[in-house]
Amino acid sequence: MKAELQPSRRIFLSLLPAVTAGLAAPAVSAAPKQAAHWGMLIDTRRCIGCQACTMACSMENALPEGQFRTTAATYCVTTSEGRSGVAMVPRLCNHCEDAPCIPVCPVGATYKREDGIVLVDAERCVGCAYCTQACPYEARFINHDTGKADKCTFCSHRVDAGLLPACVETCVGGSRVFGDLNDPASEISKRLLAAEGKTSVLKKEAGTKPNVFYIGLDKELSGRVAGPSAAEMMWRPAQHGA
Amino acid sequence: MNTTVEVLGLTREAAWLPWAVQYFFLVGISTGAFFLSLPGLVWRSASWAGVSRRALLAALVCGLTAPVALLADLHQPGRFLNFYLHPNLQSWMAWGSFFIPLYVGGLLLYAWLCMRPQLARLAGQDGIGARTAAIYRVLAYGGHDNRVAVGVAAVIAALGALLILVYTGMEVMVVEARPLWNTPLVPLLFAVTAFAGAAGLTGLFEAATGHRGAAPLLNRCLARSQWAVLGLLALWWASGLTGVSSSAAQALDSMNGSPGWWLTGAWLAGTTLLALWLSSRRSQSLVLVSLLALHGAWLLRWIVFMGGQGLPKMGAAFRGYALTVTPDSLLGIVGTAGLFLTVYIVLTSFLSWEEPAAA
Repeated sequence: MKAELQPSRRIFLSLLPAVTAGLAAPAVSAAPKQAAHWGMLIDTRRCIGCQACTMACSMENALPEGQFRTTAATYCVTTSEGRSGVAMVPRLCNHCEDAPCIPVCPVGATYKREDGIVLVDAERCVGCAYCTQACPYEARFINHDTGKADKCTFCSHRVDAGLLPACVETCVGGSRVFGDLNDPASEISKRLLAAEGKTSVLKKEAGTKPNVFYIGLDKELSGRVAGPSAAEMMWRPAQHGA
Repeated sequence: MNTTVEVLGLTREAAWLPWAVQYFFLVGISTGAFFLSLPGLVWRSASWAGVSRRALLAALVCGLTAPVALLADLHQPGRFLNFYLHPNLQSWMAWGSFFIPLYVGGLLLYAWLCMRPQLARLAGQDGIGARTAAIYRVLAYGGHDNRVAVGVAAVIAALGALLILVYTGMEVMVVEARPLWNTPLVPLLFAVTAFAGAAGLTGLFEAATGHRGAAPLLNRCLARSQWAVLGLLALWWASGLTGVSSSAAQALDSMNGSPGWWLTGAWLAGTTLLALWLSSRRSQSLVLVSLLALHGAWLLRWIVFMGGQGLPKMGAAFRGYALTVTPDSLLGIVGTAGLFLTVYIVLTSFLSWEEPAAA
């Protein structure tokens, strides 16, 4: 009797991944007619600075303690009229069209996929950290565990499986929208269209053509911020090796 | 005008550690010292004979130590193979991986050709064991003083040295993301301070071997190099203040809120002025002015690398670097110094650097 049940269970288990992948696929339009070009839109008005994205990314990508691929920086902005408010700027790798981290890599370990995602070939990377110097967004770091360059991958392993990046999936306020910029029907394309050009990117003057766009980003917060830092409230991981 | 306070942010720690400072310092001094060795050893200038010999010692000690510091910065030294297996020739660092062996190889060949007559003399010296004499004899390979061969080796090493100076400067200069680095004055500052440091280290070796007669000669080199350093620093500052260079202006702007940066800048300018005064007015001074020149060469690189990485690219927070008693920090510097001392002891034990080079 047991022997008769085993094949059907095996068939069920073998079909399970296909079923789940099929269910997840529409979320990111995994089968576009045109080649996909992934991008992210961050609506800063919806970000509440909960750092759920930070934690989800750390868990998904098993990052060493104190090292992050994405964070949501928080600012207290006071206008000349004396009105104060809190502004959030979630940051991550911008997967730039003209990524300055690519040409400087001495061994060609950093590369851009056809779908726009900038990745690091860990087998080839020598950990020289030249790319971390060249990145204008401080998006890269040397992973303490591997001694190699590390950065946001847009969770390419999840995207390739038809899933959303971990930070997008976990975003409490729905601030992060991920999708195919080449697909007019995608959520990100619709939102970008609806914004009627009122989107911005970090450090536009760097000329790197980021694929991470922002809605509601104060220009004063789009790069180096002129102002004091509440250092005592900042997360400052102990220096590596200390 | 809004007032902004960064409540929560993230700063990245320095990715290029003190190993990098040590490498740029040592390899720069090695190339500068190599050029100081040319007048006495290639052109056979009598007034430079002794100085050039000590300069060659400085070039060898630094040239053999520097690549080790570079390998250490890769976390796993075996990774250097990827530089040759997968070179990306768009990157200055990739070119550097070819220039380093060219320079070090050329330097070793040049030094050996210069030393052959002395090795032959040492082989025939009384009082040394037969085995040691045999080693000297093998290394002397006939002991001929072949000026043509020395000249050819000098050209190879000089090409390597020039390429090292170019690539180390360009590698830093092209990084647009760091305004402090992104200036054409960086390669010039590195080159000039490399020469100053080389003259300083040669001066220390002169003092260590009791040859103080060359002090005026070295002080002339030091005075010129200190003038050049001050001129380049002033040029960078002026280009930032006037807005001629947007990167210099950005760098100055980001340092504006930091008393530490102003203190460091004042210290660099003050010690350079002191070195200039000593080398110009105290022509017999050797040790203090040499130490100041070495200090200036090292400090400039520390400011550029460790200070430059502390300036925020994003957000508001500085990330100052603090030395710790760990292998990638203070112990790395001490370790490099230990290797430097070891190579110095080996070379000075095996060969005499006190006699003039004329063979």
